[in-house]
Amino acid sequence: MIRTTDLRKVYQMGDVQVKALDGIDLTIDKGEFVGIMGPSGSGKSTLLHMLGLLDQPTDGQIWLDGVAVNKLTDYEKTMFRLYKLGYVFQDYALVPELTVSENVSLPAMLRLDRNEEEIARSTTEILERIGIADRCCHLQKELSGGQQQRVAIARAIVNKPDILFADEPCANLDTENSRMVLGLFREINDEMNQTIVMVSHEEWHKEYFHRIIKLRDGKIIDYGK
Amino acid sequence: MGKKELKVSLFLAWRSLKRGSRSSALLTILIIGMCFTNMIFLPALFSGIGQGITKQIVDYEIGNVLVSPQSGNQYVTDLDATLDLINGMPGVERATPHFSKGATLKYRQRILGASIRAIRPTDEKYISPLYSKIIAGSYLGEGDTGEIIIGKTVAGDSSVREEDEFQASLGGVRVGDSVTIEYGNGFTRDYRVKGIYETGWNSADSTGYVTWTDMEQVEGKTLDKADYITVKVKPGYSEKFVKDMLQSYGVSPRVQTTADLLSKGMGRVLQSFAIINMVSLIVSIIITTIVLFIVITIKTINSRKQIGIMKAIGVDKEVIMHNYGFQVIILAVFGILLGAAITSILAVYMTYNPIVTPEWSATLYLTPMDLLMNSLILFAAAIVAGYVPAYQVSREDIQTAMRA
Repeated sequence: MIRTTDLRKVYQMGDVQVKALDGIDLTIDKGEFVGIMGPSGSGKSTLLHMLGLLDQPTDGQIWLDGVAVNKLTDYEKTMFRLYKLGYVFQDYALVPELTVSENVSLPAMLRLDRNEEEIARSTTEILERIGIADRCCHLQKELSGGQQQRVAIARAIVNKPDILFADEPCANLDTENSRMVLGLFREINDEMNQTIVMVSHEEWHKEYFHRIIKLRDGKIIDYGK
Repeated sequence: MGKKELKVSLFLAWRSLKRGSRSSALLTILIIGMCFTNMIFLPALFSGIGQGITKQIVDYEIGNVLVSPQSGNQYVTDLDATLDLINGMPGVERATPHFSKGATLKYRQRILGASIRAIRPTDEKYISPLYSKIIAGSYLGEGDTGEIIIGKTVAGDSSVREEDEFQASLGGVRVGDSVTIEYGNGFTRDYRVKGIYETGWNSADSTGYVTWTDMEQVEGKTLDKADYITVKVKPGYSEKFVKDMLQSYGVSPRVQTTADLLSKGMGRVLQSFAIINMVSLIVSIIITTIVLFIVITIKTINSRKQIGIMKAIGVDKEVIMHNYGFQVIILAVFGILLGAAITSILAVYMTYNPIVTPEWSATLYLTPMDLLMNSLILFAAAIVAGYVPAYQVSREDIQTAMRA
């Protein structure tokens, strides 16, 4: 499902070159729930952004579902993200002027293979599944942190993506809400065989992952298998 | 860019305006409305002044068509025959002569130089609304002699001291008072003031009117000549048609329509107004464009993170750009409607309360075409001002935008 070879990302900070990723080779299979862990500055989020087509690697190759994605044009990458990928960010990243159901519908509204009826049905189904259907007409400001993150998860899976990326989704949540979000990920992974790649720095999150890839200084130090 | 993407852009734009900062949206609409008012007010005021002056010249000076003496002659001669000829022509409502004479008016201790104009009161009613501008007393009767109507400026105000007067007057003449008039030919007569009028046209208000019969007594003979003849055109006929008819009948080679006369004297004034209007319009457009550019730039800069997130979840940059573009379009439409409402209310208000000066009175002269043209110009400026920052921010890479 995901494969990278010799993936590198170098940032130029004035005269100094910072190697955020230094030759990453990895493979993640369909249906895996993989945690990417490591200390601050190890390159966890950078790797996730590369895999999620949110940033361009300096060197190396990425294959997602067999497609060499770094050869895609800007527009093709946008469409790839829309049709194949889902994202959950640590600060929820909802559109504040949209209601819960509008936020969840947004990625589906842009797909050419979905009509309004299908969008409404899939939105309702997902909101019911994550237990937030009763808040469907509320705005972001009317929701708690945990509820907002559940909406973000609903938005990420409304298009039934091949891969779900989560960048420290529990960073702004308390333990109870973090367990709820991680439980939800596990549920989605089990029931839908959803591939999930999640960045985390909390040790107790390990129990939810099938496998943990550990990074340090832009290199994989533990592949988890 | 497909229909679906445009629909999503419009959806996002409408939601953003409806549920975003209401005060920001209202302030932007107010700014656009004020810019529209600024764009249209000064040109409409100048047009109003121009229209007002033109109307007063037509009403109190020249009518629709002016027949002047032949070159080398001081007067239009053989007056009665000429008037009969003109009044019998198609398209002519009525023709009436004017004959003016310089005179000195005396009232108590005041002495004032003024022009006394002889008219035929009944015919004059067809040409000029002077009869309806009487503010005290009454209008002249056809056979009146020894009676005069004078403008408010000539009559003056008894409560204003002579040295404080803006324009010299007789210091407060009232209806029924006797005014001594000494004409240039030495003829002197005491006139009873029959009426005082106020037209708002300074030239007319600084004059006195007597009947043709009275002026014949001043001249001491039948007055079969005139300084000029003013002609009122029947509705449905053009001034040009009547001018051509008069010339073809050989009435006088010097026949001019209002447009002919205005294109000379007033033409320069109106041309100056047009230049000022153009400068005002350009300045207004620049201000509007810059203001909207700043407003939308601030809006997009504040939304950079959100724009980055939308791009991350697969929203195309064109959708994001049109989202902001549609927001500007919606704000511009409401702003223009507000501006049109403000200018229309001002136009109605100024119709009943014109700006009056000693020289002219002005209303706002607005046509639907003026409103449409200014709306389109402002709309185009708003689209440019909105789309430029939206285009720039929508092209920013995801990581940079998300870190904002």
